[in-house]
This record gives sequence, structure tokens and C-alpha cells, in this order.
Amino acid sequence: MGQIKQIGVIGSGTMGAGIAQLMIQNGYRTIIYDIHHDLLKKAKVTIEAKLNRLVEKKKITNEEKTSAIDLLDITTDLQDFKNCQLVIEAAPEKIEIKRSLFKELEEICSQDAILATNTSSLSITEISGHLSHPERVVGFHFFNPAPLMPLVEVIQGLKTEPETVETLVDFAKGMNKTPVTCKDTPGFIVNRVARPFYNEAIRIMNDQVADVEQIDRIMKRAGKFKMGPFELQDLIGIDVNLATTKSVHASFYGETRFRPHFYQERMVQAGTLGRKSNGGYFHYDE
Amino acid sequence: MEDTFIMMNKTIAVIGENLLAKNLVEDLKKNTKGDILFNEFSLLEHADIVIETTNLHVQEKKRKLQEIESIVSSNTCLLTSILQVSATEAASWLHHPERLVGFAAFADFHDNELVEVALPLQAEPHFLQIVNSMFRLLDLETEVVEDEVGLVFPRILSLIINEAAFALTEGTASVHDIDQAMKKGTNYPLGPFEWCEKIGLDDVYAVLQGLYKQFGEERYRPAPLIKKLVYAGWIGGEKDKCFYHYQNRNLKEFSL
Repeated sequence: MGQIKQIGVIGSGTMGAGIAQLMIQNGYRTIIYDIHHDLLKKAKVTIEAKLNRLVEKKKITNEEKTSAIDLLDITTDLQDFKNCQLVIEAAPEKIEIKRSLFKELEEICSQDAILATNTSSLSITEISGHLSHPERVVGFHFFNPAPLMPLVEVIQGLKTEPETVETLVDFAKGMNKTPVTCKDTPGFIVNRVARPFYNEAIRIMNDQVADVEQIDRIMKRAGKFKMGPFELQDLIGIDVNLATTKSVHASFYGETRFRPHFYQERMVQAGTLGRKSNGGYFHYDE
Repeated sequence: MEDTFIMMNKTIAVIGENLLAKNLVEDLKKNTKGDILFNEFSLLEHADIVIETTNLHVQEKKRKLQEIESIVSSNTCLLTSILQVSATEAASWLHHPERLVGFAAFADFHDNELVEVALPLQAEPHFLQIVNSMFRLLDLETEVVEDEVGLVFPRILSLIINEAAFALTEGTASVHDIDQAMKKGTNYPLGPFEWCEKIGLDDVYAVLQGLYKQFGEERYRPAPLIKKLVYAGWIGGEKDKCFYHYQNRNLKEFSL
């Protein structure tokens, strides 16, 4: 595995754009790929706006911003990834899409390039099992917003070589991130261990032990959590949170510890999704 | 304010062997002027309030509450920790259940601002005022919730720790990486294993065991690894061994 100089990012959504911004801020030439050119242009504008904000807040200099933006390219042709030493896929969480993307990448990229996926809910092994060289496929799971959140989960699929994991751990450390390594298990670490924070809070609320305001207050004042389980669900999106719970629950073949609560489903059915819909467990003014 | 003044000079007795009991005694001595008794059954008849804190062994808790009741007067306020049983169940062991109040907190309660309390179904609510003013002396607000095993924070935190223990058992990640992930990926103030070391795994196990019995649901099944650590006495708190020790031991090569 040669030195990482050029990086390909697949997907221009929130995570793809966030990851690309992180990479160019750390001096890596980065190409974002998407099938829609207009989405790519939008992502580029978003990244530039974010970097401008950092200049305004005096977190970076104008020169740093300019040289970061110079490192960013966009493309609708996956062939442009042929010289990348690292590809980070942040496409929609659909297994067919990811499997066919990795099949294409295997043909385009050199054999020692690392092919990483930012999936939060799919198995690394399932994404790469059909490839000729699954040993260089690895999970590289960032948290939103990627430029700010320190954690990265580096996930070893059943066929991932330890060297691939080590390379990404060192790479993440080089960007001042906190990498942790984990096996290819449902929800990896964070999305699994955090389930009871939400699920049990909903259960306690629905059983009338305490109400939403009380539970959030208790978790913050008796437990020092920065946010309560309900305000945090409102921030993440109740639909997004429910989807994660459903995915972990299904991947563990219905293990009851992860069973979603019907109340979450009611909130989604009602269109009360949290802050983005101006209302969830709490009300928000505009 | 008057309540607080009266409370300042009350005799408060603490009965319990766990870290929670020790920390309560230390805090009460620092913040009140009255006598603070610690496991002194011979002086218990003078107590205005008795706090009982056994969590791990329910039979021992029952025996202690009944012994306390046999010594104190019938209207003495009994405050009991309800990590493994509901306040209603604890009250059912008494001849005068109406003076029992439940509270749920871990041993690190004095680092926090709030403590949860609940009344048993059999309660007379005015005992709650006594408990509120006592906690106010310790600079703690109270939040009254419905009576259920482990109330809110101990219940949620214990289940997070339980899930972390299952993940560790399966070799998903190391103790250190699971702690790091929860702090850096979702802003937890402490990692689940660090939290155990601080509050004591015995009380966490008590909550899980209590929920499992109360609801009879697989969802609350304590991770076998937690049981083993409790049996081994590797419970953190005052003990220096817990999950980190367990993992380091595992890394040693015993076989040739």
C-alpha cells in the first residue's frame, strides 16, 4: 500500500460532502463522484460556504481555505478514481448500489488501493464478499458532522486484512481523529451501544414512569449527559433514529433488546420528525 | 427554608455496606450539624430519618428494613434505595409501609445536581417533604417520578452498560475502544466501562437483575459477563478491578 495522496469520495450528500471537506482541509487531493452533476455542484458550494464560515470565525486563514478548495474536484465518471489510493464510499444505504459500486471500483482502482465504505448499517462483509480482492475493503464510519466529530469507527469485515485496518487507523490519527477498531457486527459500536439510551427512554415514557421533559432533565442533571434522549432524537430526526433501531434489530434477527417502540412509528406517521419538521417530542418555533 | 433549618439538626442513620452508603455518610457529615449514624443499630431508636441502601441482595435488604422497623417508631421516615426493587415492593415488607420513600441513585450522586425519588403505592405523601429537604441539604434537587425498579437514570445507564458488556463478550471491540467510541462519537460524559468503575458494577447488576425479574422480559437479561465480574468481586467502585482488569488479564498468554 503506497502513501495516500489522492482520495475519491462517492456520494455528495451530507456525509460525502463532510468527508470531502475533512480530506481537503487535511491537504489531500479529493474527487467527489456522484451520478448527478447538479448535486455535485451543490456539494461544492456547500463545502466552500463552510470553509468561508471557518475563515470568518478565524479558525482557518483565507490562504488555507483557498488551497483547500484548490484540492477539490468533482466528477460523474468513476474512471477518474483510477489514481486514488483511497476511496471512501458514502452512497445511499442500499446494498445493491454499494455492491455494484465496489465491483466497478475493483476494476478501476489499482490493486493496492484501499476501498472503504462509510456505511452505518450494512455489513462490510456483505458489501465486499463477491469481490476478487475483499482484503482491502474496510468500514470507515464517520459521524455527522464529519469535519467536527472526532470519532471514526474502522471496521474489519470477515475478509479484511489487518494491514488495511492499521493503515486507516494511522491515516485517521494523522487527521487528529480518534479511530476505534471493531468487528463487522450490527450497529458496530456506537449505533449498537447507544440503542438503550433512546429505546429505554421511550419505554419509560410510554409506561408513564416519567414524562419527556422529566426524562431529559434527569439524564442531564442526574447523569451529566449533554443532551436528553428526546431532544437528541429531535436533533437526529425521529425517522432516522427509528431506521437505525430497525436496522440493528433486524440484523440481530429480532433480538428483543433492540426492538423498536410503536410510539416512534406513530411520531413518524404523524410527520413529527423533530427539529427538521419544527416539532417532535418538543415544539420549536420556526 | 425552615424545613432546611430543622433538617440541619436531625439525627440521620445510614444502613448499608455499599459505596453508596459510605458516600451518603460522608456527604451528610459535611453538610449537616446533627448526628449521623452509620450501621449503628444500637442507636437507631434516636434516628429521625433512616436511609437504607442495600441493592445487590434483596433478602438482605428485606431483613435490614424489617430490623430497622423493629427499632424505630412507627412514623419514622424510611428512605430506601430502589435499584433492584420497586418502592412498593420494599414497603410491602413493613408493618407501616406508608412512611417509606424510594430513591434511585448510584454512588457518584454527589457529582450530580439531581436525585430521583418515588413513592410506593401505600405512601403518605407528606414524608416526601422530609426527603426533599434532606436532599436539599446535600445540594441535590429531587425529581418525583412514578415508582418502578431503577427509576429513570439508573435504569437507562444500566442498560447501556449491559449492551456494552454484550458487545465486549462478542469481541466487537476492546474495552478502551468502546469507551472512546461512546465519548467521541456520541458525546457521553463517560464511557460505559469507565462509568462502571466509578459507580460500582454491583449496583448496575442489581438494576438489571431487578428489571429482569420485574418485567420478565428477555430485553433486561443481564449480560453473563457482568454476573461473572460481580461473582469475582471485580466491581470497580472501591475495588481497583473491573472491566479493564478483566480485559488485561485476557491478553496474557497462559498457555504455552
